Amino acid sequence: MDELKERQIEVSRTFDAPLEMLWKAWTEPKHFMKWYGPKGFTAPTCEIDLREGGRHLWSMQSPDGRQMYFTGNYKEVQPMTRLVYTDSMSDAKGNVMSAEMMGMPEGAPVTMDVTVTFEHADGKTTVSVSHVGHGDADHAGMGWEQAFDKLTAVLAKG
Amino acid sequence: MTPMTIDTLSLTFSALADPTRRQILAHLANGELSVTQLAEPFNMTMPAVSKHLKVLEHAGLIVRGRKAQWRPAKLQAVPLKEVADWVEQYRQNWEESFDKLDAYLKTIQKEEKDSDD
Repeated sequence: MDELKERQIEVSRTFDAPLEMLWKAWTEPKHFMKWYGPKGFTAPTCEIDLREGGRHLWSMQSPDGRQMYFTGNYKEVQPMTRLVYTDSMSDAKGNVMSAEMMGMPEGAPVTMDVTVTFEHADGKTTVSVSHVGHGDADHAGMGWEQAFDKLTAVLAKG
Repeated sequence: MTPMTIDTLSLTFSALADPTRRQILAHLANGELSVTQLAEPFNMTMPAVSKHLKVLEHAGLIVRGRKAQWRPAKLQAVPLKEVADWVEQYRQNWEESFDKLDAYLKTIQKEEKDSDD
């Protein structure tokens, strides 16, 4: 299965703002809380210990008031350039929820590796986020995501 | 996401969590196969293959033919699509977050400009 790229989600956006502002938007809670989460959601909690190994804990609150917490550790902190952190659903105290606790069986992707890169050109800043999910059952052998990629490719042809 | 979707997804993930079952699905992606045909490449006994097929069938990932002895297994696309949609949800979340970030950056830049004046 070597020919298969690891399944990733990649999202990128160019903002009409200086690099420093984008870096702050990602790394300072007072800014992060202002935008994180889908439309209609707020981010009422945000703790960021910005150093390699440091923890983050933030939340999203849905329009109907349900709060979801996410936590993880920073693996790379390169100011104005690159951030790499893990992200898992957790409780309010930052205890990571298992797949079972979320009503998902073993093997569902619980932890995401998130890489954020910042690039500056002509007064604009491009931020790219890549998300790789991995489930506990994926340490041995082919990940379900790869298998899934192959299957969808075949199904699309058929 | 409705509880019903989560429930279906949980069955799908459960079925996909096993590497042998993923391999079986990959084989079935090329067409219908019988238990005997599936047992061969995996060096598995027919009861062992049947057990995996039962899990896949329960998750709706395959259907089994009703032809008495043969009962070929056939891949079903719908639950796989639900997994794809679930993954796609993450992308959508980022896009919407970025819309908000864009608006926020405009606000603070305007505030900075106003206070400079």
